[in-house]
Amino acid sequence: MALLPQFLANGVVIGSSYVLVALGLTLIFGILKIVNFAHGEFYVLGGYLAVLGSQLLGFPPLPALVLVIVCMAAFGWGVERFIFLPIGKHDPTNVIIASFGLSILLQNVFLKVAGPEPMIAKSGLPAGAIRLGSVFLTSERIAIVAAAAVTVTVLLVVLRFTWVGLSLRALSENATVARISGINVRRVAVVTFMIGSSLAGLSGALMSSVFMVQPGGGVLVVMKAFIVVVMAGMGSIEGAIVAGLGLGVVEALVTGYLGSEMRDIIGFLIVIAVLAVRPQGLFGLKTERS
Amino acid sequence: MRTNLSLLLLLAILMALVPSVLQGGYFVNVAIVVCIYVVLAASLDLVMGWTGMYSFAHAAFLGVGAYTAAILGRDLGTSFWINLPAGTLVAGLFGLLLGLPSLRAQGHFLAIMTIAFQTVVYLILAQWTDFTGGQYGISIDPIEGFGSLSAYFYLVLGVTVVALIVIRLLTGSRFGDALRAVRDDETLARTIGMNTNAIKLIAFAISSSLAGAAGVLSAYHIRGVTPDDYTVMTSASIVTMVVLGGRGRFWGPILGAALLVLLPELLSGLADYKHIFFGALLIAVIIVAPQGLAGTLAQRRAK
Repeated sequence: MALLPQFLANGVVIGSSYVLVALGLTLIFGILKIVNFAHGEFYVLGGYLAVLGSQLLGFPPLPALVLVIVCMAAFGWGVERFIFLPIGKHDPTNVIIASFGLSILLQNVFLKVAGPEPMIAKSGLPAGAIRLGSVFLTSERIAIVAAAAVTVTVLLVVLRFTWVGLSLRALSENATVARISGINVRRVAVVTFMIGSSLAGLSGALMSSVFMVQPGGGVLVVMKAFIVVVMAGMGSIEGAIVAGLGLGVVEALVTGYLGSEMRDIIGFLIVIAVLAVRPQGLFGLKTERS
Repeated sequence: MRTNLSLLLLLAILMALVPSVLQGGYFVNVAIVVCIYVVLAASLDLVMGWTGMYSFAHAAFLGVGAYTAAILGRDLGTSFWINLPAGTLVAGLFGLLLGLPSLRAQGHFLAIMTIAFQTVVYLILAQWTDFTGGQYGISIDPIEGFGSLSAYFYLVLGVTVVALIVIRLLTGSRFGDALRAVRDDETLARTIGMNTNAIKLIAFAISSSLAGAAGVLSAYHIRGVTPDDYTVMTSASIVTMVVLGGRGRFWGPILGAALLVLLPELLSGLADYKHIFFGALLIAVIIVAPQGLAGTLAQRRAK
């Protein structure tokens, strides 16, 4: 039991990254109703951009993160404009197949461009563990939690007090009424997709200084983001924060007490069980039939 | 229906000429791979096209069939003639297992679950070293009497034709109507007294058992199994074949599978970028012609 606080702290670090990825997904999935299976590859792309910024261009940490956010927002705009917008008009269910195609495409582009070798970003933060009571954490890991906390706070403020946030919440409650009330639904959709894409990239960038970035790394991440969104209930921001941290802690405890092989399988078993028993999510409302 | 079946037999006879007309093992190898992917795409279409459910786990059933044959052969020394039905049956049972969540979850939730299932099967194949041989896999001895490549090709062609006839008869029967009813409006289908749960489970079971049969065939073709042949990338290739060819049409997946196996062979530079090409093609087809080649052709003709 002596290691319990350390396991919990590790879980909070991993959980913070899950929260960021899941927030991006819950905006895109829960509010825009776009099922983006390539969200995990957005995360990986953020990681590669951080490697590019910090290793090749030699940026300090903050400018590197700004680079990631700007590039990912632009990338999100392009994906929304050229893939999801044209499909949405035909048939919303085809989005699932197209985003699966995008995920396969990006994974193999990463493999060709960056190669199969895992990469790591340079954080520029002081090396060595910092002691907090009985818990040891590296400065990168503390930075992840801090950055996640700042991002989540900014997002909550934006959603509550700004024009985008107000329109978004209106859109999530009733798209038709939002349109009638004069909200430019198209513009909100584009901005939401860009925010979601940036959040995924930011999370990948933060984690890239602790965990390796590799081409196929997004598959597990998107699964976990869906687990979090499903557990939280679609579009629930507060739920995603609780469920993301919760999943991180459960995984850290499983790794600590049962071994790391069990960690990912446990996550999948949770999602299959949750979806089989409560398809609408633990905190979600029951969706209407047909 | 009769024209479809006679066209199929005609094609099969033409295919049967491959070993004698085109000399060399290369063409026979390609023909075998085409047959295996035709079975895979056509069986996936039972679920994706006819019943309107998502499955990104078809390669998992391919793997279950292949590993069933390999493990039976290794531990019990059984022959191909026992392993083929065994692989088909075991993959069908796994299909029932994946079908169970489909009773509750639909659309994207089902799609997520199938990817999760695919990943779990891969992790088990790759990590349960004592049972599956881990990354090294298991090797398989050739079938007695079918040691030569062209003899094995005739065997594969025979199984492929049987599988396609089964699919054609199923989709042309009242069961095919039931599948379409579930796809078009499940609530309505249930209201008029159809047992939609049983229909979905049977669709999943038949689809995955045929994939299992394809798995046994491919395992004997490459004379062994390794987990990396059964990843989500393989599932993605099969999905691309079905979508490109046209969902819910008899010739669609056959056309898609033949095209996507042959294209990387014809354009040798493409082989390296195969999965990038497949991913981009999947997106492009969904945007430009979501009904696929067969669907677009049929629409043209209707006009």
